Amino acid sequence: MPRSSNDYSVIGKRQPKLDGPLKTTGRSQFTDDIDLPGMLHGKIVRSPVARGKIISIDTTKAEGLTGVKAIVTHEDCPGLMVSPDRKILCSDRVNFIGDEVAAVAAVDEDTAAEAAELIRVEYEPLEAVFSIEETSAKGAPVIHEGYEKNIMDDYNIDFGNVEKAFAEADHVRVGECTFNPNHNCFAEHHVVIADYSLPGKLSIWTPNQSPLYIQKSMGSILGISESNVRVFNLNTGGAFSGRIGPRQHNFIAAILSKKASRPVKIRCAADEEFVVYPGGGYFKYIIKTGVMNDGTLKAMEATYLFDCGAYWNSSFNVLLRYKYHLIPQNYHMEAMRWKEKTVYTNNPPNMYPHGAAFLQLKLAQETELDIIAEEIGMDPLELKFKNAVAKGDTTLTNVHYTSCGLKESIKKVAKKSSWKKKFKKLPPFRGIGIGCGAMNSGGPDKSGALIKIGEDGKISLFIGLPDMGQGSHTAMAMIAAETLGIAVEDVEVVAGDTNAAPFDIGAFGQRGTFFTGNAVKLACLDARKQLAETAAKKLGVKTSLLVFRDGKVFYGEEPEKAVLFKDVVSQTLHSEDGKHIMGKGFYHTPTTSREPWVSTLAYSFGAQVAEVEVDPDTGIVTLLKVTHAHDVGRAINPLAIEGQIDGQVFSGMGQILSEECVMEKGKILNPTMLNYRHARSFEVPEMEYIIVETNDPYGPYGAKEVGEGPIVCTMAISNAVNNAIGNPVREFPITPERILQAIKAKGKK
Amino acid sequence: MKSIITLNVNGEVHEIAVNPWRTLVDVLREDLKLTGTKRACEQGACGVCTVIMDGKAILSCLALAVDCAGHSITTIESLGSSDGLHPLQQSFIDNGAVQCGFCTPGVIMTAKALLDENPNPDDTAIKEALAGTYCRCTGHIKTVEAVKKAVQAGREVK
Amino acid sequence: MRLPRFEYLRPSSLYECLELLEGSGHESRIMAGGTDFLVSLKQGVISPQKVISIRSVPELGSVSEDAEGNLQIGACANLSDLVKHSLVLKKLPALHDAISSVGSMHIRNMATIGGNLCLAPRCWYYNQSKQWRHAVEGCYRTGGKVCHAISGSKRCHAINSSDTAPMLIALGARVCLQKKDNKRWISLREFFRDDGRHHTVLEKGEMLTSVIIPCETGKDRSTFIKIQHRKGLDFAIGSIGASVKGNGRKKEISLIINSISSVPLFLAKAAETVMESGFNESAIGKAAEIARGETGAVTNLFTSAGYKRQIVEVLVKRALSSLKRK
Repeated sequence: MPRSSNDYSVIGKRQPKLDGPLKTTGRSQFTDDIDLPGMLHGKIVRSPVARGKIISIDTTKAEGLTGVKAIVTHEDCPGLMVSPDRKILCSDRVNFIGDEVAAVAAVDEDTAAEAAELIRVEYEPLEAVFSIEETSAKGAPVIHEGYEKNIMDDYNIDFGNVEKAFAEADHVRVGECTFNPNHNCFAEHHVVIADYSLPGKLSIWTPNQSPLYIQKSMGSILGISESNVRVFNLNTGGAFSGRIGPRQHNFIAAILSKKASRPVKIRCAADEEFVVYPGGGYFKYIIKTGVMNDGTLKAMEATYLFDCGAYWNSSFNVLLRYKYHLIPQNYHMEAMRWKEKTVYTNNPPNMYPHGAAFLQLKLAQETELDIIAEEIGMDPLELKFKNAVAKGDTTLTNVHYTSCGLKESIKKVAKKSSWKKKFKKLPPFRGIGIGCGAMNSGGPDKSGALIKIGEDGKISLFIGLPDMGQGSHTAMAMIAAETLGIAVEDVEVVAGDTNAAPFDIGAFGQRGTFFTGNAVKLACLDARKQLAETAAKKLGVKTSLLVFRDGKVFYGEEPEKAVLFKDVVSQTLHSEDGKHIMGKGFYHTPTTSREPWVSTLAYSFGAQVAEVEVDPDTGIVTLLKVTHAHDVGRAINPLAIEGQIDGQVFSGMGQILSEECVMEKGKILNPTMLNYRHARSFEVPEMEYIIVETNDPYGPYGAKEVGEGPIVCTMAISNAVNNAIGNPVREFPITPERILQAIKAKGKK
Repeated sequence: MKSIITLNVNGEVHEIAVNPWRTLVDVLREDLKLTGTKRACEQGACGVCTVIMDGKAILSCLALAVDCAGHSITTIESLGSSDGLHPLQQSFIDNGAVQCGFCTPGVIMTAKALLDENPNPDDTAIKEALAGTYCRCTGHIKTVEAVKKAVQAGREVK
Repeated sequence: MRLPRFEYLRPSSLYECLELLEGSGHESRIMAGGTDFLVSLKQGVISPQKVISIRSVPELGSVSEDAEGNLQIGACANLSDLVKHSLVLKKLPALHDAISSVGSMHIRNMATIGGNLCLAPRCWYYNQSKQWRHAVEGCYRTGGKVCHAISGSKRCHAINSSDTAPMLIALGARVCLQKKDNKRWISLREFFRDDGRHHTVLEKGEMLTSVIIPCETGKDRSTFIKIQHRKGLDFAIGSIGASVKGNGRKKEISLIINSISSVPLFLAKAAETVMESGFNESAIGKAAEIARGETGAVTNLFTSAGYKRQIVEVLVKRALSSLKRK
């Protein structure tokens, strides 16, 4: 019998973040707050041409500047490749505006900046390409040898009989959506400190989502055994799937440090921030949808075109290729087809925005579903509900759902938002829309956890999972506290140093709660088993009858005969065979994987309704209210879950309504937080949260992800705008100007 | 080129030699080691470097340290002590308004300046003040909420 | 982003300030609130050898009312202080709205009225870091011979984004320009030049020291509207300051639009339409349509020219409707 949240003493409570006092007093350390003895400051020299030959690099003047301690060019890192298409520093070619050519380390930032300006690089500009059309045109220059026609990746896959399903469908339509590049706009700009001043040992301080990944990749690329790379992961000021791997400046700081034999900090200036981090690139989706007249979804075909910019880290190809099926399906259908083509251009390298670009795919799909619902005279909410997956279902892509609250989420969100009373009944230019989504809790991987228990009964929990603000450390402390029957304040999370952390690939792919959470639970169970022997002896009962709760250990039927948890610890330590209680846990996906993309056992589901008002004169949208229901399996910390939903609605609304890197010939025209228009306090909507609990059999205490599930439902916002104006806008973000064009185009129809 | 200035920070008077082209945030962080005040956009658009000068929330990235001589500056380090936290800090923690925490000092200092001047701001006044800050993690939803709750709590105390 | 080196001067009186200004000529620049100035310095778009900080010049910070009820504001009066100033609140609510719409609370806490009036026109090919600008050919603004905003243009098309300027012009404000040995008053409208590079009539050694705003009498009324992508901190897509002075046949309407070209635009024909036909809906609609044509060659900076004309129409319609109601 699964227990309900009420049966837990820690799980399910609104737990404020444990690091709150440090963060609200400005005492938490971020990388830029670190000042190591002898530390130098680095500055990178970047290419001003989008594609060109490097004719010469003259560092003489910079070398002569007082305070300059090291200058590096490609000659200092010969042959070192960050990815198959990219060197640490350019040697003969530059491929985008901002490409790294040289770097300098000096005693302070001012001197470093001055020296960087004294480095003279001569370029011979070459023809450059800036769009999918240009790069695919006949006679276009080849950006990287070996990638003919600039095709980085081309991948197609079918599930079921696609032709047959479309032929049988009553109604088939094709539509396209394009997405302009955007940026995560981290509050903490990119910064790194590298200390490579002793032979063969490298220490790195940098905000990131995966210390282990940074350790492994920096080690392998720089030729250092991975254990000799120590990554300190302090607080991270925003990550949003954009801080998984090491970036160029991490490597450059390392080679500068090696050359100067001193630690080097590189802090990206505001103007560099937009090119250092490859934001979401340009996408185009062409979606073909086939339905029956009763709304039954027959087939979908997605053609995905992606401009990855000048370079691409091929280890992320899994995301490109499996997007359509890695992301779990939330609707049943008979057949589907995925056609992906990714091309190189001379734009800044692109990666993924918050939500890893799953939002864009789902958004393109759901825009079509809404139109098709209109065409067959059906309420889109009903159409989505009709096709929604449920517990026990296996999708076309062979993903099995052992828990699923999609239908419950749709029902609840419809009720709470008064959908029936509002859909098609709102005044002109008011609109309501629904979006649905599903998300995997992690991928095919593993996590470890270790605990030690002090004599006072307090535990230290060692994990490798970073907390970038989502509250993962608090959630892990809650799982540990619940398992050992102690208070959450008695758990100290120790993380942020690869030398001390057990194996954990990090906080991305919505894996933290599920994978590390399971590992933490296992580690605590391991410790509990050791403690149970002492307690059982003392109480004179079998270990299997013991209950750990409220700082006590007792025999289930006689709670009054409890012994204190800390006494059990102490007595175990000082017993005849003297044991210091340490617990270890390791969790890996016990999947006998049928398909490579079936990576985890748990999937979350969500449904969202948004209400908007559009100013028909200016096209400006007011997002009035968002109601979001999310099946999280089990709510470990409802306060943090709400926070996750808030942040994702914010990023989703940005990607949909306003956030755009305006590009012109490889340049970002608005690379500042003033001109890059993310929302602020006035633009955010009233929020309503519905937490759906389905108690996943594999999740720790039944929990699943909420890290990026909500953002893939935020197309509720564009669907609401489309509902308000009656003519879907197809170019994202749907800025006021584009909305106004759509309103005018509708008037002309 | 350097001039000796006296900076009054959190009630403490510091005599320091600075070049005129150094901003207040750099001097606070680099010379006085008050790293609670963060720097991000450095162009006045994100509010993470907010400190209070003579009762007003200002952007320390857009103030020359030399111009601040003789004025009274308050930074996040002055809020909260071993005896307990400032009500705003507590409200931010309790209401989930802290996530990555990078923007938090700037948002709290902004809210403090607002409440010091107007202990009963309405929603619009709170949003107006916080519009100068940036917080992608909370999407400004729980930061606004935390300030509101602190205002309510303040009323109840009275 | 770090600031370049410069010599810092901090005069303690207006006289000393004007003396320094005259003595240093083009090598020096005046800094008031610094909110725009320091960003430009950081980006390297200006690089003066000397910076004259006028924050603590006492004569420049005053706000007062003269015998006729006109409001005189010193150039260094702080925007937040002005927003709260009883004279502004009581006598010029539309000016209050215009000042409140500038930047964020943080910016207003630092910025000054003089600074906002002298705000350098902006362009997204120009207000960029030095590194960014290396990627483009030099433009008129940076000493080159092209305009990236409108290719083929013979001039710079940077945009004047001051929010207080259109309102103050509509209110008939005059500004005091001072040199060491000279002082002149001109109407604010004449202060601006339609040139993205040299956008004011300020001469070498001259600075704006104060603004005087005539009091509104009788049925005088005014309004300010700013359309922006994002409330609370954003430059305008377009803003309008509008006023009606006098009554009946002698009624004078001023409509001034900013943030769509290098200079605040005076929409004379649109205003005339309403002066002739009165504040009825059809006249307002007609005036708004006429206003579209009065904008001239609008640049396609930040948003397309077509969208800007639409915004002009909306602003005129809304401003006139608001004046009608008042």
